[in-house]
Amino acid sequence: MLTYDILIVGSGGAGLYAALESRMEEDLQVGVLTKVYPTRSHTGAAQGGVNAALANLDPTDTWQDHWFDTVKGSDYLADQDAAEIMTREAPMVVREMEHWGCPFSRTDEGKIAQRPFGGASKPRACFSADKVGHVMLHTLYEQGIRHGVNFLNEWQVLSLMHDGQRCQGVTAINTQTGRVHTIQAKAVILATGGHGRIYWTRTSNALGNTGDGTAIAFRAGLPIKDMEFIQFHPTGLRRTGILVSEGARGEGGFLLNGLGERFMSRYAPEKMELGPRDLVSRSCETEVREGRAGPEGEVFLDLTHLGRERILERLPQIRELCIEFEGVDPIEEPIPIKPTAHYSMGGIHTDLNGQTSIEGIYAAGEAGCVSVHGANRLGGNSLLDILIFGRRAGKHALEYARNNSFTPVDTGQEEADTQMIASMMEGESGASIADIRRAMGNLMAEKVGVYRNGKDLESAVSELADLQEQFKTVRIQDKTKAFNTELVSALELKNMLDLAEVVAVGALERKESRGAHTREDHPERDDGNWLAHTMATLGDDGRPKLDFSPVTITEFEPKARTY
Amino acid sequence: MSETIRYGFYSGCCFQGADARFFDILRDVFAKVDVELDLIEDAVCCGSGVIEERSELTSLAVNAKNMAHAEQMGLPLYTPCSTCYNVISNAQKRMKEDPAVHAQVNEILAEQGLEYKGTCKLTHTLWVFAQDVGLEKLKERVTNPLTGLRVASYYGCHTRNPADIQGYESADNPTSLEDILEVLGVQIVEYDTKDDCCGYHLAWPNNDLNMKMTSNVLEGAHTKDVDLMVTSCPLCFKSMDGTQAKALAQTGKNFQLPVLFLPELVGLACGMTSEDMMLKYHGVPVNLRL
Amino acid sequence: MIEKITPVRKSILANIRIQRFTPSEHKSAYFDNFKVTVETGMTVLEALRLIKNTQDSSLTFRAFCRSKICGSCAVRVNGKPVLACSTQLMPILEDFKKDSVSIQPLKNMPVLRDLVVDIEPVIEKLSKMHPYLMENRERIPETLEQESIMSKQEHSRFDYITDCILCGSCYSACSAASADPNYAGPLTLGKAYRFSADVRDSFQGERMQAAVDQGLWSCAQCRKCINVCPKDTRPAVSIQRMRKMSIDDGIHDTAGSRRAKAYTGDVAKYGQVNKPMLPVIVNGPKGWAAVEAADNYLEKHGIEPTRQVCTLGGQSSTQKIYDKVKELEAKGENKT
Ligand SMILES: Cc1cc2nc3c(=O)[nH]c(=O)nc-3n(C[C@H](O)[C@H](O)[C@H](O)COP(=O)(O)OP(=O)(O)OC[C@H]3O[C@@H](n4cnc5c(N)ncnc54)[C@H](O)[C@@H]3O)c2cc1C
Ligand code: SF4
Ligand code: SF4
Ligand code: FES
Repeated sequence: MLTYDILIVGSGGAGLYAALESRMEEDLQVGVLTKVYPTRSHTGAAQGGVNAALANLDPTDTWQDHWFDTVKGSDYLADQDAAEIMTREAPMVVREMEHWGCPFSRTDEGKIAQRPFGGASKPRACFSADKVGHVMLHTLYEQGIRHGVNFLNEWQVLSLMHDGQRCQGVTAINTQTGRVHTIQAKAVILATGGHGRIYWTRTSNALGNTGDGTAIAFRAGLPIKDMEFIQFHPTGLRRTGILVSEGARGEGGFLLNGLGERFMSRYAPEKMELGPRDLVSRSCETEVREGRAGPEGEVFLDLTHLGRERILERLPQIRELCIEFEGVDPIEEPIPIKPTAHYSMGGIHTDLNGQTSIEGIYAAGEAGCVSVHGANRLGGNSLLDILIFGRRAGKHALEYARNNSFTPVDTGQEEADTQMIASMMEGESGASIADIRRAMGNLMAEKVGVYRNGKDLESAVSELADLQEQFKTVRIQDKTKAFNTELVSALELKNMLDLAEVVAVGALERKESRGAHTREDHPERDDGNWLAHTMATLGDDGRPKLDFSPVTITEFEPKARTY
Repeated sequence: MSETIRYGFYSGCCFQGADARFFDILRDVFAKVDVELDLIEDAVCCGSGVIEERSELTSLAVNAKNMAHAEQMGLPLYTPCSTCYNVISNAQKRMKEDPAVHAQVNEILAEQGLEYKGTCKLTHTLWVFAQDVGLEKLKERVTNPLTGLRVASYYGCHTRNPADIQGYESADNPTSLEDILEVLGVQIVEYDTKDDCCGYHLAWPNNDLNMKMTSNVLEGAHTKDVDLMVTSCPLCFKSMDGTQAKALAQTGKNFQLPVLFLPELVGLACGMTSEDMMLKYHGVPVNLRL
Repeated sequence: MIEKITPVRKSILANIRIQRFTPSEHKSAYFDNFKVTVETGMTVLEALRLIKNTQDSSLTFRAFCRSKICGSCAVRVNGKPVLACSTQLMPILEDFKKDSVSIQPLKNMPVLRDLVVDIEPVIEKLSKMHPYLMENRERIPETLEQESIMSKQEHSRFDYITDCILCGSCYSACSAASADPNYAGPLTLGKAYRFSADVRDSFQGERMQAAVDQGLWSCAQCRKCINVCPKDTRPAVSIQRMRKMSIDDGIHDTAGSRRAKAYTGDVAKYGQVNKPMLPVIVNGPKGWAAVEAADNYLEKHGIEPTRQVCTLGGQSSTQKIYDKVKELEAKGENKT
């Protein structure tokens, strides 16, 4: 049996920061277990920036401004004490990253460069060209090498173990060999990222952002929070969901429907294409719903009128992206797009130290929910979230592991998981993984997507239950144990189906519109009834059970959210 | 009606010692297809990329000088050497992308009354035959088709990498060499190590590695039972022919694979003799039953 | 004028040849053929996924971000290392004028299964290169109250290398890495240079030694790594710059540094490299063997041996270039 004082699951920004924080002290055994090689984690995909009130560009910026912007952006569902910690400590963690070598772009004075970002009252997104997540992730990995962090690469966690009070460890499968192992740990930090893939191809997220940690925690009886809140981005490429950044609209791109009409005139006659993200997403979706989409259910981002020169000069990266991923040259023809699921606000419920309801089990990053993002995350705040709460979880876990002994654990779970996999590998398949996944993605996008209503949500819940039944008949056709990626996909699908249900049930229950959650049948925010976090736990009947808990309000009274 | 094509001839450093014969061979073969070379008199060595390891600016200035002379002659710059092509082309690209560097280089050249305008066109043996002369004319001049010869074609690296140093053909799937060979009548044989590097530029800092790399490429062709290898790069030719015996001996291999420099094979197909091509100077004997 | 939008999409029925290999089951690698309708917009990765989902679920490959940022999905397509996720199939079919395309795992790394290779050996080489920043306290403040001050120009010296996604494409294309298992390879040397060029770093000497020990002078400058790098990080250029650093620091006297000095000196002196005597200049007395071998070669072929360097015409004016560059460098005005 493998043992670690602290086992970190996931090697995105949150996991690596936690690892560094706990490894710096060097007296404990710290391991990082990850489904992919560390630098391949989805944190690398973040392009825009990480928020911190450094005031390098606007000297009047303060962390209090940042705090307020965050709370307002969250549509007042963020816990204000958590948001306070995050925004107050932000300059420090960003500078720490810089001291570790992170190559942020520079101002003329040689300081960290900052840029304006949606929902921020001052320019405070620290950036590195268009690769901020990538350079942060690599910097953390590099420092991890320096400090001798231990990595278990291409291992997938299967189950979380605790005795009802304290952490015991996890079980995980080594993908390269196909063997299931028990890993005993005093503390486990789940930093497994978001679950955007429940929308399958309709997401900007990596193929592996399947919410494994969140699903596993849920199945282990831990509460997961605010799962119905999923942020959408209006302009994902039709085929892959990869983002076409706001720059294209900023430069004067038009949004056209299948009929060639510049449809934003219907929804935001003044701001047109430059309206806020959620409004633009909803407008695109309305065009599609009302039958004015292109031949494949898409709308179009048209740059052709800008002309070759301007596109080559101002938007070369966007052009390259469209050619490489969509096979479309925006100089020649409009770019086919669809709104795309972008960020999971919800996740494993934790306190301010990242600790869950079980001692020694922590969650951080997009997998966790403290909550700082509430009903809607601000651009640039999630990279910050992973640093701040990755760090806090690491720190707290370190103290915890020092002061506590191992909790005994047997190999029961390992045997059960091995058995579960063995039975999935036996016999001919009923349903196919690919079909279930596609059905799930489409149904989530259509019924639990940008727009929601009671009727659709009810049918979504029951269709998801059908898919879960179908999933039980899935059998892995690839019978080789080593590097069985079909098995990896099946295990991920199981996690996604569980979470999709929680998202749908939460969305059905929450009868108001707040932040990213838009109910056509309840269009207003309703603070009287719904200024509360949704807590989902696994019920005795195997279905999610919902409770609600109050939002922490310390400084800012809820007001209407207008920009 | 055959018009003569003229180039500013940049000879590079490769035709020294035994390889000095290639000056004559090249002129004679080109004469067969109405190409004339005017030597760029005031040229200097391109530095082979090695000068960059001391000073990038020096390397750029030296090569801007080479191009400036060709510009003055009003002719495209032709070099038989793939590395010269690579280094000069790279300098051209660098200055095109960075006008400040271009201006600084001209400031340096001004002292000798030169200016590099950036209009100089560059070319290499491959594209002289395949594009400027053209396959049709080349075909006309082939009097002795080399039918039945099994040939491994080898470009080497420096006319291909990186892709943007040349605008003549697809860098991932170049065909000029094979197109020329086809016109000469030979049978082209595919082999696995065709894209590998011979390691010539390691000859002095790491000769053992150079020998291993050369040996690897040769073996890939040899296992396909070819009669000979043809390369468009004179430095690859040195590795493959001149140091073949050493490379194979050091890596415990035992065979001989004749290697020809592309112009030699063109000459033979155009009716010139083994003596004309001075094949007896090869390191690996070439006995073609023509 | 409002017009209905009708996108133009081509499609071809193509044969995708994929190299297969499961170590526990097969003696050697073999190819499987799959028929796929390739349409405009389809990437190599989409084709692989389509095959896995509809034809053979055991087909094994890596992919994660599917957006050219994680470096998981590098494979060789028609021999060239590319990222499967950002490579369109249609243009390749058109370039090669064929309706068939081959997909193989990267070279120079052991195959774990089908298209998946073991990158651990490369990561190990990387780890030995000290690929991290060691704080230079003259530049990095002691407290977190301030960031370090680094000018845009200082930042641009290495920023382009931080685009590297560790995809291994360059390593696969590198013939020096194929021939010498101890050679660190392009991406690792690129990383070494990235940190050595960072003004915030204080670790120059040891990292340089690691680079020299792991083959700084074993790169043949074939420049294939530049060609295949999907992120345009130009490893061969970093290697040149790292070499320059190693010469400038004056500590590392190597065959390579002697060559660089010889070339640079010769070009000024003769307008040309003194090829006949180069072996001795670079390798000292050991080099005579090579000079004599060249003499013998010539004699054997009936040519009078000569150790004379032939000069080039520009010889007389080259020194002026050198002097001017020196002058500019002394003033700190070098713009390269
Ligand atoms: C396209 C895009 C652009 C974005 N841009 C920005 C931006 O500009 N600014 C910003 O602040 N935010 C941005 N975000 C959001 C931000 O990138 C993410 O929220 C954040 O990076 C999440 O980090 P993480 O460490 O929580 O998780 P991740 O980086 O997703 O890492 C998750 C880790 O968990 C591992 N893992 C998962 N499941 C398992 C398992 N079962 N077993 C073992 N390991 C497992 C994975 O291997 C991975 O290492 C963007 C997101 C996307 C999709
Ligand atoms: S240039 Fe050097 S590092 Fe790059 S592929 Fe060639 S030999 Fe390898
Ligand atoms: S240098 Fe380029 S090719 Fe090499 S690993 Fe990095 S991104 Fe890939
Ligand atoms: S899947 Fe990440 S780079 Fe291709």
